[in-house]
Amino acid sequence: MTATGESVLRIENVHKRFGSLKVLQGVDLTINRGEVVCVLGPSGSGKSTLLRCINLLEPPEEGRILLEDKEITGKANQDGIDFVRRRVGMVFQQFNLFPHMCALDNVTVGPLKVLDKPKSEVEPKARALLDRVGMSAKVDEYPDRLSGGQQQRVAIARALAMDPHVMLFDEVTSALDPELVKEVLDVMRELASEGMTMIVVTHEMGFARDVSDRVVFMDGGKVLEEGPPAEVLGNPQQPRTQKFLGLVLDH
Amino acid sequence: MNFIRQYYFDFGVMSDNLSDLMAGFWITIKLSIFGGVLSLIWGLALAVIRQLPGRATAPLRWLSIGYIDAFRGIPLLIVLLLVSGGLSSLSSPIGGDVIPDFIGKPTWLGETSPFWYGVISLTITYGAYMAEVYRAGIEAVPNGQMEAARSIGMSHGQAMRFVIVPQAVRKVIPPLLNDFIALMKDTSLVSILGLADVVYVGRQIQSDIFNGSGLVAGAILFLIVTIPLARLVDYLIAREQRRTKRSGESNDSDQLEETQPAGGLPPNSGDLS
Ligand SMILES: Nc1ncnc2c1ncn2[C@@H]1O[C@H](COP(=O)(O)OP(=O)(O)O)[C@@H](O)[C@H]1O
Ligand SMILES: [Mg+2]
Repeated sequence: MTATGESVLRIENVHKRFGSLKVLQGVDLTINRGEVVCVLGPSGSGKSTLLRCINLLEPPEEGRILLEDKEITGKANQDGIDFVRRRVGMVFQQFNLFPHMCALDNVTVGPLKVLDKPKSEVEPKARALLDRVGMSAKVDEYPDRLSGGQQQRVAIARALAMDPHVMLFDEVTSALDPELVKEVLDVMRELASEGMTMIVVTHEMGFARDVSDRVVFMDGGKVLEEGPPAEVLGNPQQPRTQKFLGLVLDH
Repeated sequence: MNFIRQYYFDFGVMSDNLSDLMAGFWITIKLSIFGGVLSLIWGLALAVIRQLPGRATAPLRWLSIGYIDAFRGIPLLIVLLLVSGGLSSLSSPIGGDVIPDFIGKPTWLGETSPFWYGVISLTITYGAYMAEVYRAGIEAVPNGQMEAARSIGMSHGQAMRFVIVPQAVRKVIPPLLNDFIALMKDTSLVSILGLADVVYVGRQIQSDIFNGSGLVAGAILFLIVTIPLARLVDYLIAREQRRTKRSGESNDSDQLEETQPAGGLPPNSGDLS
């Protein structure tokens, strides 16, 4: 809610296909610093692929992505991957915690091994992060001893430990039992209020309405509609958006 | 009946030759340990090379795949004869002295050349078997693990080292132990090079006094080691299954993966477990 108008991420005409399947067909999107953008859309519309293109887990075939005014796509950018992954954190639907490490080690492994920081600096910070996501009582637990909601909060702390400038969330509550959804959304709400730039793929309409600065609706690998949540959710212009929201809101 | 007891179970013959048999078995153990440890390392290297990312490394991947396919399909005995014959010839005048004696006729750590030919051959062959076991283990680690590791900035190499391989190794300990049991039994082939392992000693007794009790004693010595190892494999598999079940119950996601990677075992590794 503290967007400054300075663009952090510019996505221009991005295309991605898997074999003959065109998954992204010219996506344009600009994200400003401090902005929280929720991405909605039916399953298979390319939301996950878009996030995975942004942190180059899947390099786009066409179009450009600029992160803090530096182009990260294109063949000339071998250091682009490093540049991106140190600035963009990602949280996954399936948590993907490292099961052979306790919660604390999951959070410290990035700064220790990737950033080569000393343990004396990394560990107190990791404990503070785990405290911030309400996991300070479980720092020594292994993932298989934690509930899904707890695992997801550790996964958020793990991403935050790299001091990202942008956080990507890919349906991070979809694999959770309903009673565990709130604890994760609360953490995300707090992050948003602290000014983190966030792109959130979600089906949680309440979160999109209350927390986001902007809502983006995707279908068929394109952005069909975007705008303030009240407008896109309350008064969608495109028939596809109306249909999708009708379906979701009815349930 | 009497003949059978005397031929196979003459305890007098066994105890008369006990010190030779034990000395032979000690060589068997040393062969197994050197060959086993080196195969573990070589197999992991092959498996990691096989999983290298990117187009530039494709030739390395093909080399690794070709190597694994070849040596899984060639009898250890042939490898053994080619290694010992090749190394000893190439370091002799007849082979042009192309390699120095300390490699061609190794006597490292005070062990004989046939011993090292055996270790090298076991490593070549069992490295290929174990590479397949590791590969199954690496492939059994869910894709999301690599993605999560990459998303916090790890390179492919760091992700393999800190995230993928530690999980894979845990999954593959039981099948690797099975391979080790098979490797240990296969050390007996080295006796054809004249290495005085327990099988060689048993055969000497057999040809000297026409009595198989020395070989039976050797078999018993093998079982003393291999049966506990096989039980350990069973225990580890059962423990892993319990662990997976527990995490399945406390974990509300549906991302449960297998515990036992399939495949990659040499054909004779299943007969004890
Ligand atoms: N690695 C991949 N290989 C092949 N097809 C893929 C891959 N990733 C995604 N897809 C396909 O791309 C389409 C869009 O997927 P995705 O981006 O996950 O959509 P969403 O997150 O909106 O549900 C789907 O049809 C999916 O099957
Ligand atoms: Mg998705």
